[in-house]
This record gives sequence, C-alpha cells and structure tokens, in this order.
Amino acid sequence: MSGTSVRSMARSPFVLVVGAVLTWFIAAFLVWPNLNILLATFFPDGSFSGRAAEKLFSSQRAIKALGNSFLLAVALSVTVNLVGIFIVLVTHYFRIRGSRILFLGYASTFIYGGIVLAAGYKFIYGDKGIVTSLLVKMFPGMDPGWFSGFFAVLVVMTFATTTNHMLFVANALKGIDYQTIEAAKNLGASPWTILRRIVLPMLKPTLFAVTILSFLTGLGALSAPQVLGGRDFQTITPMILTFTNSPTSRDLAALLAVILGLATILMLAVMSRLERGGTYFSVSKVSSALQKQDITNPVANVVVHAAAYILFAIYTLPVVLIVLYSFADGAAIQTGQLSLGSLTLDNYSRVLTQQSGLRPFIVSVVYSALAALIAVGGLLFVARLLQKYRNWVATAFEYLLHIPWILPSALLALGLIVSYDHPNPLVGGAVLTGTTVILLIAFVTVKIPFTLRMLKASFASVNSSLEEAAAIMGAKTLYMFRRILLPLVLPAAAAITALNFNSLLDDYDTAIFLAHPLVQPLGLVIKANTDGAEGVEGVANTFVYTVLLMVITGVTMYLVYGRAGRRGTSPKRGRALPPVSSAAPPPAVTAVSGEDSKLPAAPAR
Amino acid sequence: MIRLDNIEVSFGDFTAIPNLDLHVRPGEFFTLLGPSGCGKTTALRTLAGFIQPAKGTVRVDGKDVTRLPSDKRQVGMVFQNYALFPSMSVWENIAFGLRVRKEKPADSDHLVRDIARRVDLSDEQLAKNVAELSGGQQQRVAVARALVLRPKILLLDEPLSNLDAKLRHQLRQQLKDLQSEFGITTVYVTHDQDEALAMSDRVAVFNKGVVEQVGTPQEIYDHSATEFVCNFIGDSSALTPDFVAEVNRLSGADLLTDANSYLRVEKASLNADGGTVVGLPGTVTSRTYHGLHSRYVVHSHGADIRLLLREDGSPQPEPGSTVTVYFQPAHVLQYHPETGAALQREDQAVRLP
Amino acid sequence: MRKLQTLAAAAVAVTLLAGCGGGSASPASSDGASSAPAGGSGETLVVYTNSNGEGRGDWLTAKAAEAGFKIEIVGAGGADATNKLIAEKNNPIADVAFGLNNMYFSQIKAAGALEPYEPAWAGDVDKELADGETYWPLVKQAILLGYNSEKISKDAGPRDWTDLWTKDEFKARYERVTGLGTATAQLVFAGILSRYRDDSGDLGISDEGWKQVEQYFRNGSPAVAKTDLFARIASGEVDMGQMPSSIIADREKSFNVNVETVIPSVGVPLAVEQIALVKGTKKKEQAQKFIDWFGSADVQGEFAQKFNSMPVNKKAQAKANPDVVDFFADLKQQDIDWEFVQENMGAWVEKIELEYMT
Repeated sequence: MSGTSVRSMARSPFVLVVGAVLTWFIAAFLVWPNLNILLATFFPDGSFSGRAAEKLFSSQRAIKALGNSFLLAVALSVTVNLVGIFIVLVTHYFRIRGSRILFLGYASTFIYGGIVLAAGYKFIYGDKGIVTSLLVKMFPGMDPGWFSGFFAVLVVMTFATTTNHMLFVANALKGIDYQTIEAAKNLGASPWTILRRIVLPMLKPTLFAVTILSFLTGLGALSAPQVLGGRDFQTITPMILTFTNSPTSRDLAALLAVILGLATILMLAVMSRLERGGTYFSVSKVSSALQKQDITNPVANVVVHAAAYILFAIYTLPVVLIVLYSFADGAAIQTGQLSLGSLTLDNYSRVLTQQSGLRPFIVSVVYSALAALIAVGGLLFVARLLQKYRNWVATAFEYLLHIPWILPSALLALGLIVSYDHPNPLVGGAVLTGTTVILLIAFVTVKIPFTLRMLKASFASVNSSLEEAAAIMGAKTLYMFRRILLPLVLPAAAAITALNFNSLLDDYDTAIFLAHPLVQPLGLVIKANTDGAEGVEGVANTFVYTVLLMVITGVTMYLVYGRAGRRGTSPKRGRALPPVSSAAPPPAVTAVSGEDSKLPAAPAR
Repeated sequence: MIRLDNIEVSFGDFTAIPNLDLHVRPGEFFTLLGPSGCGKTTALRTLAGFIQPAKGTVRVDGKDVTRLPSDKRQVGMVFQNYALFPSMSVWENIAFGLRVRKEKPADSDHLVRDIARRVDLSDEQLAKNVAELSGGQQQRVAVARALVLRPKILLLDEPLSNLDAKLRHQLRQQLKDLQSEFGITTVYVTHDQDEALAMSDRVAVFNKGVVEQVGTPQEIYDHSATEFVCNFIGDSSALTPDFVAEVNRLSGADLLTDANSYLRVEKASLNADGGTVVGLPGTVTSRTYHGLHSRYVVHSHGADIRLLLREDGSPQPEPGSTVTVYFQPAHVLQYHPETGAALQREDQAVRLP
Repeated sequence: MRKLQTLAAAAVAVTLLAGCGGGSASPASSDGASSAPAGGSGETLVVYTNSNGEGRGDWLTAKAAEAGFKIEIVGAGGADATNKLIAEKNNPIADVAFGLNNMYFSQIKAAGALEPYEPAWAGDVDKELADGETYWPLVKQAILLGYNSEKISKDAGPRDWTDLWTKDEFKARYERVTGLGTATAQLVFAGILSRYRDDSGDLGISDEGWKQVEQYFRNGSPAVAKTDLFARIASGEVDMGQMPSSIIADREKSFNVNVETVIPSVGVPLAVEQIALVKGTKKKEQAQKFIDWFGSADVQGEFAQKFNSMPVNKKAQAKANPDVVDFFADLKQQDIDWEFVQENMGAWVEKIELEYMT
C-alpha cells in the first residue's frame, strides 16, 4: 500500500491525463491567485513587512478574541460529540419509541443555520424569550439575561452543528458488524459496556473526523457569538471579515486566516496520527446488519427517552418559531412580540414579487449545482488516484488541494480577480473577470478540500479486488471506473454533492466579488434585502429567505437521502450487492473544509 | 446436555422453525446441517439466546434457560466471521469476557495466556492487532475468546465458510482437535456436508425449518431417512421405474418400482467383485478424468447411472462402449414419492424424543 | 447511464448560464434594442451601488427603463463595492457607481479607477461636497445621535457625543458599534476624531482623542447583530445611538418610538452620496448620459420624494419632503477635512478594532 513508485504511476495514461489536468488546475486556480494575493498583502513593497504580526500581538482584543475562538473550538469538539453521539444512538442504535420523528427533529440542522438559527434560539431563551419568560415567572429572582456569553454560544453552536454526526457517524454506525455486538453480549457485556468498549471504539475514525469539523466550526464561529456572545465572548471571525474589507488592514486578515489555517492543519495532523494507531473496521468479510438495541434497565430507558424528547424540543422549537416569524412583520421579529393574528403573507409576496423575482434563485441553483457536480465529478478521479497511489507526488498534490482551506473566501475571490483581470497565459490568454465562469471556478475551488477528503475516504472502503476482478475481465480504466467504482461510491458522492450544493446556495463572500452583473446569485439579493441598516423589512426578509432556503435544501436532502433510504430498504438490492456497497458513504472522513465549518453561518453576513 | 423442545420461531409472518425437538449429548460434536435458509442458524441462535422462540423450551444441563439472556446460559459462541473486536488486540479480545466479569487482572492474564497456549497462540501474537492475524489464527482467537469463560457448550456458526479450500481443511481438523482436547459439548452449524460428515459425532439435517434426520454421519449417509437427505448428502443417481423393474427381475429383489429410487455413485461399479451383485448392461455416455479416478455416466434402462472408476492403470472403457453396471440391490435407496420418507428400512436411524 | 444524464443536465445548465450572461467580458449583447429615446444604443449599463435596498434598486431600474436606459444594478455594501471597483480596475465591469460617500470614492479615485466627467447638472450642486472632478454629489445624509424623546426630555438630553461617556446618566444607555465596517460608523468616528487632530499624535490624533474613543467603547451597550437600534430603544434596552437621517421617520413609525436628534455645537458630520463614471467603461457615452439623467433635478426630486432623502441638487429640493429640507436647512454641518480622514480612516479603523473595541 505504502509505496507505489512515482515511475509506476507515470506509466498509466489515465494517471497522466488526470495528472496534467490537475496540475494545470492547481497552478492556475489554487496556487497562482492565492500566491498573488498573499504576496500583495505580506510584501506590499516587495519586502516582507512584519507589521501585521506586531499589530496583532500587541492588541489585547485580538488576542482575547483569538483565545475565545480556540476555547470555543475545543469546547465544541467535546460538546458536539456528546450531543451528536447521543442523538445518533437514539435514532440509530437504541430502540426508542418514535425514533423516526426524533430523527426529523434532529435533522433540522441540515437545512438551516447561521444568524437566523442564532436568532431562533434567542427568541426562545433570550431575555424576552418564551422559555425565559416562563422561567422568570417561576423563579422571580432569575436574571432574564441568563442566556448569553460563552455558555449560550456553546449551547447554540452545539445543537446547530450536529449535522455531521447525523450524516457520518450514523453511517459508520450502520457499517458496524452486528456479530461483534452479539459476541460481546454472549461474553456477558452489559449494553453500556458494549457501547463503550465495542461500538464507540469502532466509530473512532469517523468521530475523529467530525471532531475536526467541530473544531473548525468553533474556530470560524461568526453569528452565534455576534448574537449571543455579549461583551465578554466575541470571536475572531468578525474581525477577519472587517480587515479583509479594508485594503490597508488586509495583511491582518491574511495573518489571522493563516493562523487559523495552521491550527486546522495541526489538528488534522494530530487526528491522523491518533487514527493511524488502530484498526477500526471489521476484519471480517461477511458482516451482518445492525439491529436496534433495547435498553434493558427500565430507569435508564425512561431517562434516555426523556432526554431524547427534550433534545427534540430544543432542536425543533427554533425552526418552528423561524417559520412562524417569517410571517410576522419586521418590528414584531425584532422586539420578539408575536401574535397569531398578525401573521400575514406580506413578507413572502414582497420578497417574491421584487423585480428580480425568482431569477436569483435559479441562478444560484444552477451555479451551486454545477459547482457541486464539477467538484465531485472531477475529484472522483483525483481522489481515486490519491487513494490508490501513495508517494511524494500524490502527497504534494493532496496538500496543494487543501489551499482553499487556509484562506477566507473573500481573499480567494480577490486573488482570482487580481490574477485574471488581464489576459493570462495560464487560461489561454483569456480575461476571466466579468465572465460567468470566474464565479464557477471560485465555487469549485472552495469546495475542493471538503470534497476530496470525503471522496478519498469513501474510495478507501471499496474492496480493491473488485477493481482487479474487472481488470482481469478486460475492463479499461475508464470503463471500470464508470461501471465498478462509481456505483460503489455514488451514494457518498451524491451526499457530498448535496452538502456542497446547499452550502453554496446563499454564498455572499465570493459572489460579491466575482458574480457577473447580469447573473447575480441569491446571496447578493439576500444581502441587499436583509442588511439591518437598510430597513425594518430587512429582518423579515432574512426570515423569508431562510425559510425559502430551508425548502430548497430540504428538497435536496430528500432527493439524496430520501431516495437513498428507499433504495436501502429494498431487500433485493441490499442482498444482491457485496457488503462494501451497502456501507456506502464514507466510514472514515479525515477532515472537512473550513469553508463548511462556516456553513452554519450562512444566510446573512 | 442440551434439549430443545417444541421450539417455534417466527419472524413476523414468516415461521422459520415450526416445531423443533433436538437433544445433544454431553461432550458430543453435534452438527446442524442444511442448505442456506433452512433454519439451522436460527436454531443455533435460539440456543445461544439471540432469538426468543415463540413457543417451546431450551434446556442446558437440565436447567430451563429459555428466558435467560445469552451470557447467562453458559454457552460460548464462535461467529461466522469470528466477530473479533477490531479495535482491540488479541489479548484484549480474549480477556474481554473476563474483564466484563471483573476478574482480577492477574487472574485474567493467567487465564488468557493459558487458553492461548492451548489453542496455540504465541505471546507475540497476543500483543498483535487482530487484523494482523491470518484466517486460521483469527479462528483460534475466536475459539479462545469463547472458551476462556469455561462455557458448558461451544456454538460454532459456519466458522469455516469464508476460508479457502485448503485452509478450510486444515482448520476443520484444528477445530475438531480443539474440541476433543477440551471435551466440550459443541454444536456446529454448516451447509457443507463434507465438513459435517468428517467432524461430527452426530448430525441433524435441516430442511425448511424441520429436522429431516438425526444420526451419525454414517447413518445419514448410508441410510438417509428422507429423499431430501439422500439428495443433500453425497452424490447419487436417480433410477427409473424401468431400471428398478429390471433389477427386481435379475436379482429377485423386492424393490418398489413406483418409489423414487437412488443409487449412490460409489456403490456402483463396472467390475463384479463378489457379493450379491446384480449387473445391468448400459452404454458409456461420458467420462471425466480426475487423476485419482474417473467419473462415468452410463445410460441403462432410461437411467443415467453415475459411478467412479479408480485409475489404477488398467484399460478403461471409452464413451460409446457397452459395459455392465454392477451393484447390490440392497444399496438402492427408495423413498415414498409423496412424503419423501424412506421405504423398507429396518435399521432406521434412531429419532430421539 | 446516470452519469450521462448528469452530464447532459450540466451541459444544459452551462448553456443556460451562458445564455443569461453572454459569457464574455462585455455583458452587453443582450437581446433586442429597446426603444431608446435618450439612451440610444440599448446596451445594458452595469451600475454598482450600496444604495439599492428598500426598493431603491427596483425603482431606479424601472425609472431608467422609462427613460430608455437599460441598467443592471449590482448591490453591495459600501466597503464591498469599493473593494470590487478597485480590484476590477484593469478590466472594469461596472460603467457607473453611485451611492458611496466621499470617503469611499476618494479611495477609488486614489486607486485610479474613476474617469473624470462633469455632469450636465454640475452647476446645480455644491461642488464643495465632492472633488469637483471625478465624483459628484447626489444625496446628503446627516449622521446623527438620536435619543428616545419619550424617556429623556430635551433639557435632560445629551448635547454632544462626548456627553455619552462623560455623564453618568448616559453611560450604558447608548448603543455603541461592534464593528467599523459600515459607512455610518466610520463617519461617526470621523466626526469625533477630527476634533482631536494633532499631527504629532498617533495617526494624527491626540491622546485625548483616543481616550474619547476608549471611553466610547467602554461605556456603551454593544449593538446586537440583526437587532435594530430602534427595536432596542422600543424595548427599553438602550435610549440612544447613531442613526443616519434618512431612516429616522420610517423607523419611528415601524417601532412606534419617538426620537429626538442632537446637534452638537461643532455640527453634524454629513455623508454625501456620490455618483461617478468608472474608468475604462466601454459604454462611456451612454454612461455619461445616464449620470446626466440620474442627477437631474427631476429624477433626484422624485427619488427624494419617494425615499425621504435630501437631494444635493438645489432644483430638486423643491420636490423633496419639506420636513427633510427644513431639517437640513437648519443643520450645522461639521467641518471635516475629508482628505485627512480618507488618508487615515483605514489605520483608524484598524487601531480601534485592535485596541479599543472590547
């Protein structure tokens, strides 16, 4: 496995073609633009300037915000795992009454996030929130502003970011060989021991991966601290955004971004080191499907049921309120006063009857879908090669493909503009600014690291003898890829495509710099209609757009997961395929994009 | 030692086992044999406590364990894929049950090393990760893990089915040796009749949730109680009524012509070497060379008689030549065409209550 | 098979996008020449602005179409639009930019992304409000300190920004900004810091000036994301804060509060929204015509009427809301050296973000 030589790699024409395309793409769109912009910020006059570091490290506020971001990242890595594992277990492992309903509630974080999510929680637990009012009535001495600061931010972000657990940990759990659980039972292990000693250790690689994601989410936290952090708990991301937009302070933004990027890479390295130690997947070739476990202890059973339904309420209340508030007028939303009689369709008719109408929705859907498909489609080949060949060339390519992780998307966009606003031989002498292509390129590049990691992991689960079998029967590389490998990783690829699609739908940071003026995506329109400074209706519009986005992302997730679910339940297909395919999406996800960690910070920035 | 009485197992609308009675004697190597989906694994899992029967009782050593969970039944189990815990080392795998029981660490270590020695695992292997072991070593770990808790019964669920032929043969012997060394009552599930015949003290042949026959390997082979058993075990040629009538005519035997009749391949021959043989002429339709022997198909009175001929260097008939097929009429197996039950059997295998 | 379908879908989508956008550097070749009495060629003008919210963009697009201009508005925040214009200077996409204040336009001008042009209505506006060369004033906006007049009487109210942190009764009762990304916030600080100009001080500001900033942040109640100041005033969380003049009437109505504004003795910082021609535009002639049209007394008057703004064009003021005009007539404008402010604003924002914002 470990040492496919570079020479043997260079012998395959398939590898050469993919390698050539990849080299060009990396050089043209990952290295050159970002090098340009970093040089411009760190070497303003051709010589290195240490100004940024000096400024930054002498600023108490910056250091504190940076510290808060790291604190949040670490805390979140713990809490998200606790809640995430719990909800995965109650929906997929234990026999809990109504687990389907619970699943839908917990899955609500698939379809919304960002400032609106934080606002939703504030409606409930904030100083004028429903729950707070109730509590204050019961305990008159209570501080109505109890839900703020680090604690509130951590709580909200914990519940907002269990999406990855629901996707990837749940999937890994399904892949566990049930016979090992029966074996442990037979050896006298209690349900708790089985969970702790058998099930969780087998989930380790996936848990490592989602821990990285949680860490990144904490580092990039934006909206929850803004809404709930109060004076004492502000994070670094708002500062990065401010400095990115100011040409004279851009070096500070770049430096901060590089610091976060380095932390991310360090985290990645630590996790891969931890992961390397053990074997986590069933060593057997035949495995049997997981069956739900009864919680035998009646007290524990009641407690788990109660906790599951309390969490369900915590997850669903904000969504319900956001949908309700999207029908209320802006002032009602801002002051938190809601009466059923005041709900009207005005907000929706205002948003949908603007002159731009549905066009931005279509533009965004097309852009996001194209970018998601291209990223996944192109990286399918790349991920396969990187997974198959392990040598220094492959490693170098892999690291280069992670460049978009290190820089915030606004800087990536600026880099593209600076590099391609004049004829550039790298793209055949074309000028890219002002074309519809440049935004697509940016969308594809920002999705590369996430897509690559996920795809590589899913290829890793494919039995290599399948490929050998096809090769013996005379299948050509491409044919084999299409007919043998692709179907096996397709469920994972579809899931990744859907996630990419959803996260690009409301992009603002890249679109603002790169969108073609006549083909403006949704993010720009949302921004124009929701900025606080531009009217009371703005906030109402935010809610309307959030609900509309929820509908689109909900439909996407249904198309991918609803259909995959149906396919999975069909016994014919489940039986006919070798076991590798039924365990479809990635068992080991080594890491996911920093960009996606900002996914919860979606609709309005 | 083990008694299953009136066991009924259903999954939803589907009744996997309608009514099962089985008795396994102490120290016995007892095999549940049958094609896939016949209910043999279901029976084993019911015995292990992974499946609750809808009716009936399971007794181990006289004690009713029907409602007891798996770990309270004193049964050890080796799974089809061994179900080794991938996140643990070999030592940890074997010690798992001991640690669950909260044995003292020193005792655990002693017990683990002791059992490891007896299944031939070295100290070095104990420290390894299970993924680093070969299939045979993994099997020994699985057996050690089950035996270290000193169960009264060892259950083996097709433990050889994933291995290649050579390893399978080797491990078959290894398992059998381990069983006789430990002297533990063992219930073994397999679909491989070869395995069942070679390893078992007694075999229960399953078909569609029903036990067709229980007996020693030789009993079920030579005196298959039903047509299903006859077909499932060994290799035999179906005889035509015409053929049977001719046998009766030549030998004066009392075979029924309207029964379903079979003749095992090894019972037929082209040489008449003594005994109460009868010879029927026929034409060789095919010959396959196997080195040790050749397989012949001889067409005679509408029946295709298959037989083996030892390749001892003497000249062998070629396809198209006319030969005589010799066998003893007593070796003809006859079954009732509707019920499939064996006919004219005086030494019927004992069916235990 | 599935992959083929996906490919086909992608191909269709690409065609669709290309069809929408023209896929070339000039987004011009759109369908059908419109009946263009004033604009002529019917090419689409790309207009960058930060002033497209609350229906202004749609209104302007419709009005321009009536006048024969086909325009496409690209909305972005002031800082974003500025960055975009500067980044695209080698191959501009925009033809016209408007709505940004003098601070932003002077940055863009300094980057060399503006083309000098003197509009037909140049004589109707006060040249002092712009650079008199590349960008020209459209709308005046006063950056005010407002307080809840139902809670605080005129006598008890603050007289100047500095009262907020020097008088105990206002401490923690005013909203302070949590970021300096917005034009309004930057203008507030331009107004405060300009008073403490000291060329030997840090970034041209005396220690006393920086102390004011420190106090401002220490004593204010931080703004809450996505919660309007007026909403906080209505709920009694705070009583005062910064507000641009044009939004006051509207917000008072929405949140049912009454706000009184403070006119400090040094005057009020005025933000003047400007319009300019983008250097390198391929539709120069038409863009100039559009500027002439948009800044004209008629259009500015209608715009003022519709959106309660204060037009700079003297002839347009007749059509504007009289209350607004009166308010500006009485208003004392703070004398601010915009050149000095523009030169230093980036550094000020950075210093404030790093050192004073807690």
